Amino acid sequence: MHVAEREPEADFEPLLQLEMEMGTFLSDWHHCDQLSTFVARMISLNRTDPVRHSNFFSSALNELLEVLFRGGFPDGQIGCAVYRQGPTERVKLTFPCPPRQRHFLNEAVAKARRGDALARYLDSISTDLAPTRDAVLLDLTINFDALIHLEDSAPSSITLVVDLPLEGIVT
Amino acid sequence: MSSVNPPARFSAEFDANSQEFSLAGVVRPRSADEIATSISTLKEAIEEVRGVLYINVKRLIQMNNTAFHAFVRVVLDACRARSDLRFVIITSSVVGWTTRMFAHLNKLDPQITVEVYDSKFYPGQNFVENTSFIPILRTQTKMTWRHERAILPRHGMRPGIVMADICCGIGDFAVLVQKDFQPARIVALDHSRASLAYARDVAAGFGISGIEYTYGDASEMLLEGNQFDLVTCRHSLQIFNRPDVLLGELYRICKPGGRVYVTNEKNSHCLGEPRSQSIQWTYNEVAKLFSHFEMDVELGPKSRRYLADAGFEDIIVESFMVTNLDGDPRDFADVIMAWEDVYAGEMAVKRGDSAEFIQRFRQGFQDHIFAALHPKGYAGWPIWVASGRKPL
Repeated sequence: MHVAEREPEADFEPLLQLEMEMGTFLSDWHHCDQLSTFVARMISLNRTDPVRHSNFFSSALNELLEVLFRGGFPDGQIGCAVYRQGPTERVKLTFPCPPRQRHFLNEAVAKARRGDALARYLDSISTDLAPTRDAVLLDLTINFDALIHLEDSAPSSITLVVDLPLEGIVT
Repeated sequence: MSSVNPPARFSAEFDANSQEFSLAGVVRPRSADEIATSISTLKEAIEEVRGVLYINVKRLIQMNNTAFHAFVRVVLDACRARSDLRFVIITSSVVGWTTRMFAHLNKLDPQITVEVYDSKFYPGQNFVENTSFIPILRTQTKMTWRHERAILPRHGMRPGIVMADICCGIGDFAVLVQKDFQPARIVALDHSRASLAYARDVAAGFGISGIEYTYGDASEMLLEGNQFDLVTCRHSLQIFNRPDVLLGELYRICKPGGRVYVTNEKNSHCLGEPRSQSIQWTYNEVAKLFSHFEMDVELGPKSRRYLADAGFEDIIVESFMVTNLDGDPRDFADVIMAWEDVYAGEMAVKRGDSAEFIQRFRQGFQDHIFAALHPKGYAGWPIWVASGRKPL
């Protein structure tokens, strides 16, 4: 499990950025699959093994987008930006987030960063009928070595920042 | 962004004979209800089997947490209900996240074990992925390139195309194509990590970009369908025990209207003068030896049939002979020497051949080398080239 502190923003090189009306995003579940596949393919092109990196990255990004889809509000915009520093891609997902949801999200991120993440993840697999938002963030932490944190954006939105050191895992 | 639902990209099947439940493709449902049929198939499989149920996920390209939880729930419930039943989950080293994700299940229940399917995609793989073969592969490609460079444009090669080289080995063919034909993009796939590492080093050393080397199983690739103008696969159908399956994958990733290009040998037609009889005997035995390991090095002239059976049209077949007169005869001799080392020194030994047989077997290679280096000698290695167009 990746336990290093996150790298400073300045060291990350921007790769790709896109924005979409939240209402449009929420209009079709398949947007999660389509967006994650497209973004993964674009940002993986100059990785050592682009096909497998893309497969891994798509898997992680799709989970994040599905979390947003399930908890999303139709007003505002969703922004997806990907940065790179060495073997790590940083995904920044910005989306509308009312205060109550912000609180739950903060808690989920904090749980994913705790030392008992693996135990909580195993518990989630064995007991949850369907994956919760907490379970998905734990999955990313455990299976993708992700480092996750939140940043405040505009007053009514929030940015989920996920560092994915996939190059090392893939190769 | 299209709102049209994508075509079904997922399958769940149960094979009662092998007690194997297989998941393949991309499965990202919004709720477990969308995969209810597949879940039922798994439950029925569990009801039916005795002792062990194999769950094969090595062809699973994507699975979201919703699907993962739904399938795992059924397995964990079965573990609790049936202490007599074991589950063996088979993942692939190619699709890395599946290995990580499924590996946790053993921690939840010791009745579940997880195996990574990796070392043997086909019976002869260990021989052809031997790293000691790398220098000779380079020499072989140098010799065949003299011919293929002129042949390839007749089979769809041209600047600006998007192409894939499947079973690319050490990647030297892709490098030569990049230098001489300048395709817009090349994806080069192989299942030997050592060969791919070598290929990346060579490309970096020569300052060549634009070739995407990827680790993968050629008989079930992560590459999406209908995307390449030209798919090349050289000297590989002949070493797969299921060439039809491999060809099906080449067909799948080829664009409609694009072409699939394959090269294969007919080893018994290798020839030389002088000492032709000894040479002929040895190469007839080469064909039998490969057949023992479920490889058909006589496949070359069968390419037309394979392409036709796979659904290709406008099939073009031609052949060329690599000879000792093409360049430095020593190159030809070096290739034969490497064949002797692997075929007589490893494969025949593994088959359990007698010392007498191996001695005679080696003699034919030595005589082929003699013919190649003889000032008046002639030595040949015939290769069949075939391509077909995927219908629009």
